[in-house]
This record gives sequence, structure tokens and C-alpha cells, in this order.
Amino acid sequence: MAVAEARDPPAHLRRRRRLRLDLTTPALLSPPLLWLAVFFVVPIAIVAAYSFDVYSLDPGPHGFTLDAWRAFAHSSVYLALFWKSVKMSLSVSAVIVLLAYPLAYYLALSGTKRKYVLLLLLIAPFLTSYLLRVLAWKVILGNQGVINSFLYWTGLRSADHPLSQLLYSRFAVMLVLGYIWLPFVALPIFVSLESLDRRLLEAASDLGASRLQAFRRVTLPLSMPGVVAAFLFVFIPTLGEFVTPSLVGGASGYMYGNQIVDLFGTGFPDWETGSVLALFLLGVVALLTVVFARFLQPRQVAAD
Amino acid sequence: MGIEDEAERRLSREDLLKLAAAAGGATLLAGPVGTARAALERLTAESGRLQVMDWAGYGNDGGQAMFAQYVKRYPSNKPRFTYMTNESDALAKLHAGLKADLFRPYVGWVKYFATSGLVQPWNPKLISNFKYLNPFMVKAGQYNGQQYGIPDDWGFDAILYRSDKVQPRSRSWGLIFDDRYKGKIAWFDDLNMITLAGLYLGMKNPWNQSDSELKRSQSFLKSKKSLVRLIWSSETNLWEAFGSGDLWIAYAWPNDWVQMKKKGLKVVYMRPKEKPIAWVGMLMLLKGTPRYNLAHAYVDAWSSTKSAKWLEDNYGYGHANIRARPSSSDLLKVLRLTNPRAVTEPNAHLDRDIPRRAVYARLWEEVKAS
Amino acid sequence: MDVALSKNGARLLRAFFGSVVVFLYAPILILLIFSFNDSPVPSFPLGGFTLHWYHQFLTNSELKGALGTSAIVAALSSAGAVVLGLLAALALTRRRIYAKPAISALLLSPLVIPYVVFGIALLLLFHTLGVPRSMLTVVIGHVVISLPYTILVLVPRLDQIDVTLEEAAYDLGAGRFPTFRLITLPLILPAVVSAFLIAFTTSFDEYAVASFVVGTRVTFPIYLYSALRFPNQLPQVIAVAVVVMVLSLAVVVAAEVGRRIAERRLGAVVE
Repeated sequence: MAVAEARDPPAHLRRRRRLRLDLTTPALLSPPLLWLAVFFVVPIAIVAAYSFDVYSLDPGPHGFTLDAWRAFAHSSVYLALFWKSVKMSLSVSAVIVLLAYPLAYYLALSGTKRKYVLLLLLIAPFLTSYLLRVLAWKVILGNQGVINSFLYWTGLRSADHPLSQLLYSRFAVMLVLGYIWLPFVALPIFVSLESLDRRLLEAASDLGASRLQAFRRVTLPLSMPGVVAAFLFVFIPTLGEFVTPSLVGGASGYMYGNQIVDLFGTGFPDWETGSVLALFLLGVVALLTVVFARFLQPRQVAAD
Repeated sequence: MGIEDEAERRLSREDLLKLAAAAGGATLLAGPVGTARAALERLTAESGRLQVMDWAGYGNDGGQAMFAQYVKRYPSNKPRFTYMTNESDALAKLHAGLKADLFRPYVGWVKYFATSGLVQPWNPKLISNFKYLNPFMVKAGQYNGQQYGIPDDWGFDAILYRSDKVQPRSRSWGLIFDDRYKGKIAWFDDLNMITLAGLYLGMKNPWNQSDSELKRSQSFLKSKKSLVRLIWSSETNLWEAFGSGDLWIAYAWPNDWVQMKKKGLKVVYMRPKEKPIAWVGMLMLLKGTPRYNLAHAYVDAWSSTKSAKWLEDNYGYGHANIRARPSSSDLLKVLRLTNPRAVTEPNAHLDRDIPRRAVYARLWEEVKAS
Repeated sequence: MDVALSKNGARLLRAFFGSVVVFLYAPILILLIFSFNDSPVPSFPLGGFTLHWYHQFLTNSELKGALGTSAIVAALSSAGAVVLGLLAALALTRRRIYAKPAISALLLSPLVIPYVVFGIALLLLFHTLGVPRSMLTVVIGHVVISLPYTILVLVPRLDQIDVTLEEAAYDLGAGRFPTFRLITLPLILPAVVSAFLIAFTTSFDEYAVASFVVGTRVTFPIYLYSALRFPNQLPQVIAVAVVVMVLSLAVVVAAEVGRRIAERRLGAVVE
């Protein structure tokens, strides 16, 4: 990811600066870089150290070993759980990107006068509390929750037969995650659609293309970077999710992130395995980020 | 820690009166100046608030009645609570440098902590209510002849179910593995599920299973996991789901039964024929605490008959003080409080040390992940 | 004829947009309704109207303590993130930097790290160094998380400003810091405020990382998480939820609107 290039200072200033030892840049960059080095890079290195048993929670003897990694690679459980989380995240991300596209399209290309207001209206829920929005769904989905009690009240279902697989299920987790991220996902798509040159569409129309053809041949391909960015912006965080699954997931909505948390907290802490799992997740995310780096340019995100 | 402790370091008027009394009394037996100084030292040496690490519900969030006598006697050393969500959480906090005076692991961890170097034994002579505590539970808190744990709260792990929705095939642990009730079952989030699986499958020593036995237990649990709706770790999560009808069957504690009854649900707390598992909370004293005597006084308050009765009446748990009787005859029956041997064989399986705890933990995590 | 949308298409999309907005706000509205509902359990049929839950949470000292702790943590971490972010943004937009893509990637990398991994990493760091967990450790974590956001807000604004204004100041003999103080800072102030507010709301709401490094004084999200498991506290919590959400919505809207107005009025934009 790269932030927009600065313009070079004009020549006469450049000449002046070359005469003095210029400590401005290091002075400006050291505090933030140092902070990140100490509180971001080093901690991750420490996680790695725990995963290789270089550091250990137990006071017993320990030293560099790949045992935990080997166990992870050979275990059927952890990788299967990771795959389960990948599938859940993929479904959620795909669905909400599909839902968000028409929203962004409407905002960017319908010529509505209040598009920024409407965009803000769409995004605003995302900027309120995450936990509280999950709470709202807990209230809605339970056996005595809003949906079911409404159904009894209106007589659509008897009180003995509630829709009971709503809460504490994989479905609940995906629904809530989709709800949480939907507003955020519209943003990158909106940005790329907005920067679309309408003259291209006009040209297509002049050449006899129908709107649908123009969409398929012009708009869609050109907005793809925004779509990919949107997909990644929701896929990556939901992959490591643990809060929503712990609140509405029950036994079947258990995700990879939950396992990591459990290995550090409940039962009997196993920091070595937990670090392996955490580092593996980080590795996958880093790989995705690098491979799709060009889609993740902040240009795609920063709406203005 | 700052201003409050400074204030508490200054002797309150009450302390001065107590001091005078102590000094006065001690003077009869020994020289005046020396004993006055000794009494002064005893009171002032231990100062500051008592740092207690305890479970939710046992602190200032509802459990105040349990240590009210302590607060009354030592108002300037009121307890300050840090919560432990379970023993490993406590362990992690202690390793991270939390300075606690006492905490409450359960009986299965007594040996572990006794040999960990983190705790020191109690002096039962300093606990006036010690003589009223159930001797079997007291023995369970000993290691190497020393009293490392003082038992107070206790109860069972058994099965709670809705009698209006569920017809168990027999009085057995098998109910939480019953295929007929898919999606309505709750398990407890603890590696003891592995122990329980071993118990249900008829193993001789479920707490110390061999590799092949562990494999059997684990695959059994994995095969039944799809029946489970919720694996609960916090009681209130269980109450919420059970109370709303999302669950009909749960691995539960007596208090959970009491709470569901309060909600008006038709529930039964079943004693499985394989016997329930019994747990006993053990207050343990941490090494290096500067409030040795205060800690003993706190434990004494917890062990009193008054506190014991309160616990039984309000939390639906048993208490090791054998003189305490709850108002509810239902609870009396369920907990078999008139039988001092209620928690030991052959009536129940008292939780005990699991030598291969780390292995059990890993296997249980894998069950959850599957 | 509109080249992107037919009239029917526009109508369809508008309806779709409307229904999505309804879907997004409905749960929030439901919470609002139940916060006034006179019943200990949030379900239909509705009980009567009551302000009891609002009153209850106003007298709940634990809850108020958590709100206060979160406010302090958010204020401190936002201040830190804005200061560090400003330094970084100035460097990125006004200086030539060796290996700029790598540096900016590093600065923005906290955006992509899963919070569960970062939370654990911080936990292990503090454990290894023997640093006890406290409000300070949460502040540290939140500065890292908020830093990319502040940079992403400040950089575009710094780019937008006409650099010749600063150059003119240098030509007139002003040193670097006075130039910054007198020229740059006033012009970027709306963005600075915006960055602060974004960092503030991010920190105030943050649960995942805080859950690993919080000490004995809990933040509001952590209090909320445990309260979500106490059904008897649920109505109170819902009342708080409504208040916090309405406030944060108001703050967000005000911040964005305010920023646009302020920047338009300040001008000094590169054409």
C-alpha cells in the first residue's frame, strides 16, 4: 500500500536544504515508526517466539522446536476449523458484496442529488457500536426474541414451535457478520464507480450498446478493483472473528478465532499452539494482502 | 492503590480501641511495653485492602453477605476483588504478576497449586469455624498433610432438563448425548467433558485415562457434538438460553436448577445412575501475602454457619459447614445435605487432580473446534 | 436518456436502497423500542412505556465507571494517534522518503491485522516484559489501531492544501515549526478534529484487543460484553446501547458535516 506521492519541493528550496544536515524526516518519522516497531512488530515477533517454543509459559525447559507447527500441519482439526471459517467468511463476503454493489451503483450513477448524504446514511450504522448491534440481533433472534414472539403474537406460529435454529447457529453468525459489515463494503465500490468516466458509457451507448451490455462491458470491469477491495475489506476481518461467534454462534458457530482465544484463556492455556494458530492466520492474511496489494490502495477507500 | 491505602494506613479510632484492649489484655500476661508493641505490630503490620481473586457472584456483585462479618470487623481492610473466570485464568493472572492474597480454585486443582510454589498452607487454628467443616471436604483440601484449601461452596455437576419437553430413557448421563434432542442440548465448556465421556463409557479411572481411552472419549464427544446447541462457560449465558426455551437439556450446577425453577419452568435436576460429579471450592492462600491474618479472618467469615445458610438459600449451592441447613427442602434433598458423605464415593465422584491435564485440555479444544 | 440506469432501473434500485436502509436501522430501532419497554424480557407483546431502565443505568456505578474508563482511554489514545499520525502524514506528504512504499505500508499495516492476533501479540509482549495490564496497556494498543485511520484522514487534506502557502512562509523567513503552527495547522484543523473523532469512536467501541490487555478497570465494551450474558441486566444495557448509539451517530454526522463546511470555508485548496 502506498500513500499518494508527495510533490518534490521546488528547486530553490531544494538547493537551500542540501546545505544543512536535514534531520526533519527522521524526526518526523521516528516517533510513529518507533511506536509501531515496539508495539506492533516486536509483539508479533514474540508470538512467533512462543510458537517455536523459544519463549514459553511453562517454567520447564524449552528451546527452538518446530513441534507445534508440525502438530498443526498434521492435525485434522485445526486446519479443518480454519477451512470452516474460510467458507463462512467467503459466503458472508460474497453475499454482502453482491448486495452492496447495487447500493453503490445507485448512489454513484443514478445522478441523485443527495448522494453523499445517502452514503453517510448508509455508512453511519457501521460507525456505531459493534457489540450493541450484535446485542440487537440477540434480542431479535432468540426463542422468545422479537421474531418469534412476533410470530406467536400474530398467530403465524404456535408458541410450542418457535423458529428455534435462529440463534446459536452458524446461520446466526453469518447473518450478524453480514449485517455488521454491509455498510462498510459499499464504500470502496462507490468510490470506484464514482470515478467512472460517464463519457465511456455515453460512447458505448452511441455505439449501439444497450444499458445491460454497457454495464457488462464497461462499468463492471472498471469497477472490479473496488469490488475486490470491498471483498477483501470484509473477508480479512471476518476470518479472524471471535466476538460474534461467541455471542450468537453456540456450538456450531464456533470459528477459528474462538479457538485461538480459547487456547490463551480457558481450560488450560496452551500458548504454544495458540501462537501457531495466530501466526498462521496472520500469514494467510499477509499473503492475501500482498497478492492483492494493488486493490488495497487507500485511494480505493478514502472517499472525499 | 494510592489514596485509599494511605487513609487506611492511619489507624482508625476503632483500631486504637482494639489496640488498647489487646495491649491491656496482653499486659496481664507479659511486660507492658513489649506486648503493646506486639499487639500494635499485629494490627498495623497487615494493612491495606484484602486482595481477593474470586468467581463472579462471590464478590461485591452479589456475594457481600458471605463476608459481611469480615467487613464488619475490619472495615479498613475491605476486600478488593479481581475476577477469575476459571482456574487457568487465575493462573495466567498470577503469572502476569497479579498480587492477590487469596483465591478460589476448585478441588481438582488442589494438588496442582499446592505443588506450584504459588500457595502456602493455611493455619486451621486461626479459623474458628474450621471445626464445623465437612471432614471429607476438608481432607480433599489437604496435600502432604498440610491444609492448602479451605472448602466452602460445593455442588454437583449433573443434568438439568425440562420435564415438560424431555423424556429421558433412563436416569443417565446419556441424556446429554441423546440423539432425540438434537439442537436442544448444552454442554459445559471445560476439559472435564473428556472425564465425563470416560465416565459414561465406563472407564475405570476417567481422571487418568490412557492414550487409547482418551482417543475413545474424544471421538465419542466429537460424534455427539452435532447434537449440541451451546457449550456454555458462563452460567448466565446458560440461564438466558435455557430460560428462553432454546435449550431443554444441560450439563448444569444446582444453582442453575434453582434459577430455572424461579423462572417458573418445569425442570428436574437429575442424579445420573453413573453418579454426578461433585466439586468443592477451595480457598487457597497465596505465598508472600502481607495480610496473612486478615486472609484467615476472611476465610473464617466465609466458613461461618450464617454465611453458609445464606449461600444455600440464595445461590443453591451446598456449603461445607455441616451445621448449615437451607430453608428449601428441595435443595436439601437434591444436595443430600444431611449426608456428610454426599460428595464422596459411592454417592458422587469428587473432582480430583488430573495428572495429564494439558492433554485433556488440548483434546477438549479439538472437540470444540471440530 | 440516462446511460447508466433506465427509469425503471432507477426506481428498482431506489426501492432496494430504501429496504436495505430499513434493514440496517431496524435492529437499532428495535433496541430503541425495547429500551422503553416495561418488561424484564425484550420480547413481544410489549409491556407498557417506562423510563425505568434509563434511570437504572444512570444509578449503576459500575456501568458509569466503565463509560468513564473508556472515555479516558479513548481520549488518550486518540491524542496519541493524532500526534503520531500527523508526524507521519507530514513526512509522507512534504518530504522525500527513501523506500516510501515500504514505510507507508508499515504505517498502514495495523489495518489488516486480525484483532485477535494483535490482541494476543500485545498480551504476550506485556507478559514477557512483566508489564501489568492496565488502562495504559489498552491505550497503547488503541494508538496502534487508530494510527492508520488518522494518517488516512490527514494525508489527503495535507495533499489538498496549496504548498505554495507554506513555501511563501519559508521565503519570508519563517522557520519550519512556526510555519507549521501558523499556516499548516489552521488549514488542516478540521481534518485533525475529524481524525481525533474517528480515533475516539474507534477506541471507545473497541472490544477485541482491549479484552486481552485490559487491567482491573474495565472499558465500556468489556463491561457490555459481560453484561450481555446477564439477562436481568439486559433492559438496562439496552437503554445504554440506545444512548451510546444515538450519541455516536450524532458525533459521526456532525464531524463529517462540520469537516466539509470548515474545509470549504478554509479553502486554500490546490486546483
